[in-house]
Amino acid sequence: MTTETAVPETRTPLRPAAPRGRARSRRQRAVMLLFIAPALVVYVLMVIAPSLQSVQLSLTNWDGINPAYDYVGLRNYQDILTSDRFWNATTNTLILGLGSAAIINVIALAVALMLDRLHRAQGFFRTIVYLPALVSGFIAATIWKYMLNFNFGAVNTVLRDLGFEGAAMDWLGDNDIVVGVLLFIICFTLGGNTTLIYLANLQSVPQELVEAAKIDGASGRQVFRYVTWPMLAGAVTVNMTLAMIAGWTIFDQVMVLTAGGPGFISETMAFFIYKVGFGEYRAGYGSAAAIVLFAVVMATTVLANRYMRSREVQG
Amino acid sequence: MSAKPKRRKERRRLTAGEAVVMAVLAVLVLAVSFPVVYALLNSFRSYAEITKDPMGLPTGLSLDNYARLFQTTDYGEALLNTVIITGGTLVLLMALVPMAAYGIERLGGRSSRWIYLLFIAGLMIPFQVRMIPLVSSMNQIGLYSTLTSVILVHLGGAASFGILLYCSFIKGVPREVEEAAEMDGAGKLRTFWSIVFPMLLPVTSAFVIIQALSLWNDFFIPLVFLDSSSAGTVNVALSRMVGLLTSQWELIYTGAILAIIPSVALFAAFQRYFIKGMSIGAVKG
Repeated sequence: MTTETAVPETRTPLRPAAPRGRARSRRQRAVMLLFIAPALVVYVLMVIAPSLQSVQLSLTNWDGINPAYDYVGLRNYQDILTSDRFWNATTNTLILGLGSAAIINVIALAVALMLDRLHRAQGFFRTIVYLPALVSGFIAATIWKYMLNFNFGAVNTVLRDLGFEGAAMDWLGDNDIVVGVLLFIICFTLGGNTTLIYLANLQSVPQELVEAAKIDGASGRQVFRYVTWPMLAGAVTVNMTLAMIAGWTIFDQVMVLTAGGPGFISETMAFFIYKVGFGEYRAGYGSAAAIVLFAVVMATTVLANRYMRSREVQG
Repeated sequence: MSAKPKRRKERRRLTAGEAVVMAVLAVLVLAVSFPVVYALLNSFRSYAEITKDPMGLPTGLSLDNYARLFQTTDYGEALLNTVIITGGTLVLLMALVPMAAYGIERLGGRSSRWIYLLFIAGLMIPFQVRMIPLVSSMNQIGLYSTLTSVILVHLGGAASFGILLYCSFIKGVPREVEEAAEMDGAGKLRTFWSIVFPMLLPVTSAFVIIQALSLWNDFFIPLVFLDSSSAGTVNVALSRMVGLLTSQWELIYTGAILAIIPSVALFAAFQRYFIKGMSIGAVKG
């Protein structure tokens, strides 16, 4: 994905159609609109219209099945914002979403820096480092679910064999540790795409700049701090924004590993919306939660971009 | 001349550093791959073997579990469904998105800018926001729990990223070639498919591969749109097995391995395009 993602404003103005007679240019525009139409229709029907409908449904007490419903004003929003269960889901989303975004970016940058140091077999190592990213979060979580089983799971077996009987825990059933275990599993990666983006950016850092800094007596750490790091600002913006957007909607791992449990302890916002909307037949309430999630995603994207772009200019 | 020994020394030191880096990376890859390796080993073992000695190694390369997975569950059908959803979505994306991006770029003016922004806004709309109304609409028009519904929902979700990718690429494609073709009498549609589309190959290969992997790996959308009247996709089928066959670990491990194989095959076949694709535009100029 490009750094342009969040700043469509900087798009260069488009050249108007070639001035070869007004009729011709009007015909050209009509044809271009026909080119756009099919994709636009599908996109509006599948994304824009249902999103707007969510706003409407969030003001109702619809159960998701019965065709009849009443408008209840902002009561759903009021209920959500005073619900402990929702705030718990929000806290978990913050811990898992922001936490994993930060941790995965650190891992990915470290791996990219290591790859960048290789002059031989870099392609081979880049490939094997990427391999774990081919396993989806869902599949990885499914395997972990069994490895973490209390009685016959690999983790507790190893701990018992090593003599740490007390360290064998009910990893996914213990209120105090379950969110930490989820965070660990989500971060158990080498970064995949994030690493590739960092590596591509590292390789675009001009070597002359690094050499010049070294000649001036800069240590390896200083070169990183004052030369490489500022040059990576753009990549950090892209990667952190992407990771945070993904983080706000963490669902697969929660669904597979804990189904939000024990109780509601490990729910995230995305899981909360799914559970309330479909499992508890409160579609209106779930829609309101979805709109809150949208507001949060939009705010994060805009703020993160503004902040990191201001930093980039200084760098 | 006098600098020569020094340079050689430097190169040797570099090699030592590289060796350490290689070793560290290898260890990291092994550690992160452990769950997959563990699942692969256990896909060759029986339930009794797994629970008796969870860390034991397989005694042979028995394919019993693989055969049983297809005989006793509808995993085969789920596999076919996943292929149809992934392939169908990709074909439709190719038919719609490049042409639309080209239209946006060549339309020009204020309307083009607004259409572009409308598409890009989709990048900020999480699936959860459109999920509940989409399920009820699909129900109303009788498409709920069909593969068509999943394909349509995926199309909408992937369009934004596609428009972003193609628009930024088409900007760099010269108009002169198209104009020459048009003077030769070729219509706009033919000009697009025979002249412009082939020039977009680099971005097309990147887009197709990135989308193919994310479509294959998706879990949430098919989970929501396919109920028990359908075999689901591989991920949905696996999640149902986790719920129903709690005592058949060996089948879960086997299914997980089978779900990974196509991703790895795809990556192995198109690795070159894939890494190039991830780097397209990722470097700030």
